[in-house]
Amino acid sequence: MAVSAKQQPVAATSAREERPASAYIGITIRYLLLALLSLFAFTPFILSFLGTFKTAAEVNAFPPTIVPEQWRVDNWVRVWSFSIPAVQGRLLPRWLFNSTWLALVNVIAQLFFCSLAAYAFARIRFPGRDLIFTAIIASMAIPAAVTLIPGYVFYSRLGWINTYWPLIVPKLIVPVGILMLAQFFRSIPKELEEAAYIDGLGRFGTYWNIALPLSKPALLTFAILQFQGSWNDFVAPLLFLQSPKLMTLTVGMSFFRYQYTNDLTAILVGAMFNAIPMLILFFIFSKYYIEGTSYSGLAGQ
Amino acid sequence: MAASTNAATPPQRRSSTLARQEALTGYLFIAPYLIIAGIFTYGLLAYVFYISFTDLTASFAQKPPAFVGLRNYIRALNEPDFRVSLTNAFWYFVIVTTFQTIGAILLAVLLNTRLQGIRFFRTLLYSPSVASSVVISLIFFWLYQRRGFINYALGTDIAWLRNADRIFDPILQVFGVTSPPNFFRGPSITWTALMVMNIFTTIPTFMIMFLAALQDIPGHLYEAASIDGATGPRAFWYITLPMLRPVITLVVILGTIGTFQVFDQAYVLTEGGPLKTTLTPTLLIYQKTLGKGTQPEASFGAAMAFILAAIIVLITIIQRRYIERANLGE
Repeated sequence: MAVSAKQQPVAATSAREERPASAYIGITIRYLLLALLSLFAFTPFILSFLGTFKTAAEVNAFPPTIVPEQWRVDNWVRVWSFSIPAVQGRLLPRWLFNSTWLALVNVIAQLFFCSLAAYAFARIRFPGRDLIFTAIIASMAIPAAVTLIPGYVFYSRLGWINTYWPLIVPKLIVPVGILMLAQFFRSIPKELEEAAYIDGLGRFGTYWNIALPLSKPALLTFAILQFQGSWNDFVAPLLFLQSPKLMTLTVGMSFFRYQYTNDLTAILVGAMFNAIPMLILFFIFSKYYIEGTSYSGLAGQ
Repeated sequence: MAASTNAATPPQRRSSTLARQEALTGYLFIAPYLIIAGIFTYGLLAYVFYISFTDLTASFAQKPPAFVGLRNYIRALNEPDFRVSLTNAFWYFVIVTTFQTIGAILLAVLLNTRLQGIRFFRTLLYSPSVASSVVISLIFFWLYQRRGFINYALGTDIAWLRNADRIFDPILQVFGVTSPPNFFRGPSITWTALMVMNIFTTIPTFMIMFLAALQDIPGHLYEAASIDGATGPRAFWYITLPMLRPVITLVVILGTIGTFQVFDQAYVLTEGGPLKTTLTPTLLIYQKTLGKGTQPEASFGAAMAFILAAIIVLITIIQRRYIERANLGE
C-alpha cells in the first residue's frame, strides 16, 4: 500500500513531502482506519447474507456463528416460492417485477420532465421565473407526511387506491430533480447553445441535442438516486397498494414479516432480495455517483 | 435568455416578439411541473388545510363533512399520545441530527484524499445508505435480538427492541433524582437502539454531500494556511469547517425534516412500543387517520400533520439563522 501510494503522492502536502517517513505512517494509519470503518459499515450485510444460508436453529443460536456450519439454499427457495391462498402464484417474483418497472417508469418520466423544466429555469427568460423557482425550493421543505394522508383521501375519491396511479402521476416531476439539473445546465457554456440556436435548432432542439448530451453524468447521477428512491420507497406504496399482488418489494417484505414473524431466515432472504440489486447497481455506477455529485449542484454551492 | 438579451440588439418590435416567444417556450417547458405540483402539492396542501377543520373520517362515504373550527387542533394539543410522540421525535431529532452531521463530516474528511483505492473505500462506506430503511430494519431486527450479534459482541444481555427503560435514568440517579417527568428521563433503550441504526445508515448519505463540497474547496487555502503553520486539526477548524457551512446548513435541515418524520423503523420494528417510547408523530397520524385500532379520523390526522409541519418549519428557520450566524472556526 505504502509503495503504491508513493507513485501518486498527489494529496501529500508540501510539509509531508519533506518528511516521507512520517507520511508513510500517516498513510498506513489512514488505510487501517478506512479498512476498519469499511468492515464496520459492511458487517450487517455480510452477516445477513451468511445468515440466509443457515438453518432456523443456527440463525438463532447463541453464541452466534458467522459462517454457516452447513450451507443451505432452501431458505432462498422457500422465499422465492412464497405464496398465500388468496393469490395465485408466487409473490416474490411479482414484487420484484413491480418494484422494477415502477422505478423505471419513475426515473424515465423524471429524467424527461425534470430536465425540461430545469432547462427552462436555467436558460430561458420568462416573467416570474425566479419566483416560481423559489416556490419549488420552498415546497421541498414541506414534510411529506402532511400531504400523504390527505393524499389518501384525495386518491380514494379519484378511485386510485390499490392502483399505481398515486405512485406515478404525482412523481412525474420532482422538485429535487429540477433543482439539481438546473444547477448543472447553468454550468454548460452558453456559446455552445447559442451557435445551435442561431443555426435554427429552436429551443427544444437545443435542449434535446445540445444540453442533454452534455449533461449525461448529471442525468445519470440523478437517475440512480431516483431509482434508489423509488425502489426503497415504503410509506406511499404501503398506503396506496393493498392487494398483495400489486405490492412492491419493500411493502411485500413488511407484509411477509407479519406472515412469518418467527421465520428469521426467510426475513433475511427477503432483505437480501431488496438490498442486493441496489448494491450491484451502486457498485457499477459508483464512479459517476460519487464523482458526479460535486458538479451537479448537490454540493450546496 | 442570452440570445435575446446579450446578442446584438435587434429593432425594438422584433425584440419584444422574440421575448414573448421565449417566455411562451419557458412556460411550455415548465407546464408539466405547474400542472402536477399545482394539483398534487399545492392543491393537496390546501385540501389538507381544509379537512383539518372538518370532521371527515377516513371512510369517505359520508356527505360533505361538517365544519368544526379548531376542534381537531385543540384535541391534538390535548392528546397525550401526540405529546408523547413529539417528545420521542424531539429526542430523535436532537441525537440523530447531531451525530449524523458530525460523523458525516469526519468520514468525508477521511475519504477526501487521493490514496490508492480510495474509490473502493468510498463505495464500501457508502453501502449502508443503499439499502432501504425497511431492509436495514429487518437486518437490525435480527442483530438486535436478545440472543443476537450485538449482545454477543458487547457482552450484554439487553432486549434492545423491547426495553422501555430510559437511558438517562442512571445519570439522574447519580444526582439523587428518582422520579423526574418522562421528558427528562430521555429516550428509551429501544428508541436509542433505533437511533443508532438510523445514524449508521444516514452518515454515508450526508458524507457524500460533504465529500462533494470538500472537493470544491480550493487547495491554495490550505497551502496558505500551512505557511502560517496551520495544518491538521487547525486547518480543519479554520478552513474546512467555515467552507462547509452552506452544506452543514443543508444537512442539518434535511436531517431535521427527516428525523421529525421518522416512520419506517418504528412501523416495521416496534409499532410504537414498548410503552409508546417509540411512538412517532407520523406513526400516530397514520394510525389515527386510517383507524388502526380505533375509529378512522382523517381530519384529526390532518390537524396533527399540520402541527407537526409547523414545528418542523419553525425549527428549520431557527437552525438556518443560527448556523448562518455562528462563526464556525472563528
